[in-house]
This record gives sequence, C-alpha cells and structure tokens, in this order.
Amino acid sequence: MQIYLPIAEISLNLYLLLGLGLGVGFLSGLLGVGGGFLMTPILIFLGIPPAVAVSTQANQIMASSVSGALAHWRRKSLDVKMGVVLIIGGVFGSVLGVQLFGYLRSLGQIDLVISLCYVGFLGIIGSLMLIESIHAIRRRLSDAPAPKRRRRKRRLIDRLPFKTRFPVSGLYMSVIPPLAIGFLVGALAALMGVGGGFVMVPAMIYILRMPTSVVIGTSLFQILFVTALTTFLQAAQNQTVDIVLAAILIVGGVVGAQMGVRAGARVKGEELRAGLALLVVAVCAKLAWDLAATPADLYVLIEAGGAP
Amino acid sequence: MIRLVLGVAALLSVAPAWAQDPVPDARIAAAVTEDVVEIRSDFAGAPLTVFGAAEGLQDGDDIVVAVRGPQRDLRVMKKERVLGIWINAAPVRFEDVASYYAVASTRPLQDFASFGALRRNGIGMAHLPLRAPDEERTETLLGVPGVRVSDLGAEIVDYREAVVRNKTRQSLYVEADGGVERLEGGLFIARLFLPSETPVGDYTIEVYLFRDGAPIATRQAELSVAKAGLERVLYDLAHERPILYGLLALILAALSGWLAALVTRSR
Repeated sequence: MQIYLPIAEISLNLYLLLGLGLGVGFLSGLLGVGGGFLMTPILIFLGIPPAVAVSTQANQIMASSVSGALAHWRRKSLDVKMGVVLIIGGVFGSVLGVQLFGYLRSLGQIDLVISLCYVGFLGIIGSLMLIESIHAIRRRLSDAPAPKRRRRKRRLIDRLPFKTRFPVSGLYMSVIPPLAIGFLVGALAALMGVGGGFVMVPAMIYILRMPTSVVIGTSLFQILFVTALTTFLQAAQNQTVDIVLAAILIVGGVVGAQMGVRAGARVKGEELRAGLALLVVAVCAKLAWDLAATPADLYVLIEAGGAP
Repeated sequence: MIRLVLGVAALLSVAPAWAQDPVPDARIAAAVTEDVVEIRSDFAGAPLTVFGAAEGLQDGDDIVVAVRGPQRDLRVMKKERVLGIWINAAPVRFEDVASYYAVASTRPLQDFASFGALRRNGIGMAHLPLRAPDEERTETLLGVPGVRVSDLGAEIVDYREAVVRNKTRQSLYVEADGGVERLEGGLFIARLFLPSETPVGDYTIEVYLFRDGAPIATRQAELSVAKAGLERVLYDLAHERPILYGLLALILAALSGWLAALVTRSR
C-alpha cells in the first residue's frame, strides 16, 4: 500500500516504512543506540530529500528518547544538573547547526557534508568500538583479569575555570567540557539527523569520567531536549519536518525497540558491542564508497527555491 | 451537359484556391478527463488522458500532445573529483524549467516535423527550452548590437541532456512516440501518466496538428494538480503556520514516547 508523504512530496510503501521503523527500532533496543545513523541514510536512499530525512529523523528520535529518559528518571539513573549543562551547550549547537544546514543547502553541498560527517564520525567511533569489544571478547576467552583502572591523573580538563559540583555523578569539574560536548552533539543532531548518543556516551565516559550508571539516562535526557529544539527549528525555519513520515517511523520504532530489548537480554554484551561496531563500520564503508566511486550520472539537479 | 461542364469548372476553380490557402481549414479541439488531479494520502501516480477531435484531418497529418508542469528554477551541478571524492561543482541556474514534461505523438517527432518547428515550439526532449540568464551577456556581433550570447556555448547540449536524463529517471519527463492514438472521424486520444513525484501546480496541455512539417492548428487546455484532504491540511499548516506545525510535531513525539513508556512499565 502506497502512502503519500505531504512534505517529502513522494509516495512510498507504508509497510516498507513500518518495517524500516521496526528493524531500526529493534537494533536500537538491542544495542542501546538511537539508530538515527542508520535511518537517515536509508531514508535518503529511498528518495526522501536529505533535508526532510534529517529533520523528520530528529522528530522520531525525540519520541524514542522521551520513553527512554522517563524510564531512567523513575530509576533515578539520570544526572539532571549535568544534563542541563549539556542541554545549554546543545541549544547553541542546534541553532548553529540548523543555520549551517540551510546555508549548505543553498550552496548545493548539503549531501556532501552529511556524507562526510557520517564517514568521519562513524569511521572513528566504529573502529574504536570494534577494537575495544574484540579485546573484551579475547580477555573473556583467555580468562585474564580485566586491567586495573589507572589512577586518576590531573589532566588539562581539571585546570579549566568555572568549576561546579555534580552531586549525582560525584564530580567536581569545570562546566566548559560538558558545554563543549553538548554544543558538538547539538550541531551534529541538526546536521546529520542523529541523536548523537554515539558521540556523547563515549565522551561522557572517557572525557567527563561520569559513572556508567548515569551516562545513558543523562545522554537520553539531553538528546530529548536537543532533538525537540531541532525539530521545532527545522519546522519553523525550513518547513522540512514530515509529520506523516515521523508518525509511521515512531510506531514501527516503539514496537521494534521493545522486541530488541527482550532479545538483548539473551545476548552477551561484548558480542552485542562487536555487532554494533561492525554495523557502524559497514554503514561508514558504504557511504565512503559512494563518495569515491564514479557516479552513474555526473550531473545533479537541485530544485531551487521551494514548492509554491 | 452544360450543367456538367459548369460543375467541373466550379470544381476546378475551387481546387486551386483551396491549395493556395496558406492556413488550411483545420481546427482542433482537446480536453482532459479530469481537470483537477487531487493528491491524497493514497496517491501513487495517476493516469492522464487527453482526448480531442481534429477537424479537416487528412492522411499523413500528425498530432502532438505536449503537457508541461509548473515552471521552477533549477540548479544543475556537475560532479568533479577532488582529492578522491566526487563533489558538486560548476552550478548553472536555469530559469523557468518545466517540472513535468510529457510529449506524445502519433509517430516519432523527427519523422514528420521540421527541426525549426520543433525548436520554435519547444516540442520534444531535444528541444526543451532552457534559459540560463546568469550565463548570458549582450554583445555586439558582426556590427549587430544587442545580441544575446550564452557563456555555456556548446555545453548547453550536455546540460539539456543531463536535465532530460535525470527527469526521465524520475518519470517526470516522457517522450512517447505513438502515444497518440488516432480513432475514427478525426478523433484522437493520448494516454499519459503522472508519477507519484508529480509536482503540484498548474499544467498546460498543448495539442498541435502537424502537416508538411509545421503545425497548422493548435489548442490549449489546462490542468491543475493539487494536494487534497489531510495531505493539503498538513502541507498548508507546515507552510502557513510553521510554529504551530512545529509544536504539533513536538506534541506528537512527546505523547507517543510517554505512551510507550507507560506500556513498558505496565508489563
């Protein structure tokens, strides 16, 4: 059954879109990632204009982070103060990202920048995750004890001013690093149509050194507000949020995530992480190939100005 | 006998006068089955049938139906390899390019129409009118002032081919030789298709009657493609009240996320 999407101005198969939401939702429930990095390239591949894919994706990620953040809120595994600092950085990043998106679109270079961002970030994060999880699997197989945590050294970050206390995370640190991380993630959300969890979670663990127990909840909390702002800005400024598409993806995503969470309970963590890393590297390789391979058609048409 | 001779004379006197007439007595009428095509949520493209009658149609005459969609500005960029990756470069802006263009004819265009007639009327993919005002200058050539010269030169052919190729891939440009069917008594019918990507707006349908390489009669009809129902409500809301639409998107996401959390907890 075909369904016409009013903003994307294209008709696609309803069951294909539902299945896509279900599949990506399943992976996100299984692996604990937002799934935006998979969904946005697929939507673009299906023929949805990149601008609409990115903006609509922000709307869908917002829905899934609402349910995730609520669950962590009830379990109190969420550092609200740290979240608010990250959000403040994210607001500036998102506003800048939406402006940059509009500017690059007017230059006809938005597809290139989206692809380059994907290849860069997914490549780095995917290979780091892959190496880390392979080490973890090998350690488990050889029954070697996990390496001892190194003692906290005084780092550059500890010398920054504007220090404050984050009681839930048990940290006393400058607000500059979380602001900067929030800013970067906000800009990525607007440019790439992702929540940015795949950047923020490692950054929180390795740079901010937050306890792992509050990392996921706090990151969902930040993503919720930043994607909400991004959705609103894209809708108000670029008119590129397709509510019909978002609704279909949300329905599929919610059901898929539940199935994924259940399936995830029966799989080991290291294998899951290795699987996710392989997936990330595969998406990255596909996008890199598309950038480098000789295109089938050397000319691209870009409809100037909007529809009447 | 005298009467018969007079009759023949009358015939003889009529025939040359008729042959000399520069505009033969031919007229054409045309209409579409639906003059408003509505795009609703189940829209997956729609057939477009143009029918009509040609008065004074002779053997050897040909009929062309050309449907043009709303005109839009179009930027065409050529990919270039920089540091191993392909990037969009050399943008050329074309003004008022038909967003949809379908040409149907009784026979292949070049078999019955002269190059000049096709070019003047912009009939056929090879004669798609393309204007790039940013690339044009006025010059004095061979002592003639005010000659419009395009910097694109022969490249315009590549650009035209690129536009046609890309639009044809999306089924937005179609050239159908034999797409016009001649029925009895000067009636004809052309069956075309509007794909799901069909842009909204006003369409013009031009019907030409060709004889000896040139159009001897033309007729225009109109068609409009518009979103309807919920699709229209949402589209208008997004463009006329973007703030409200944005808030609606936020409420939708918040509500469904909250519902999902409720369902998860109750289990």
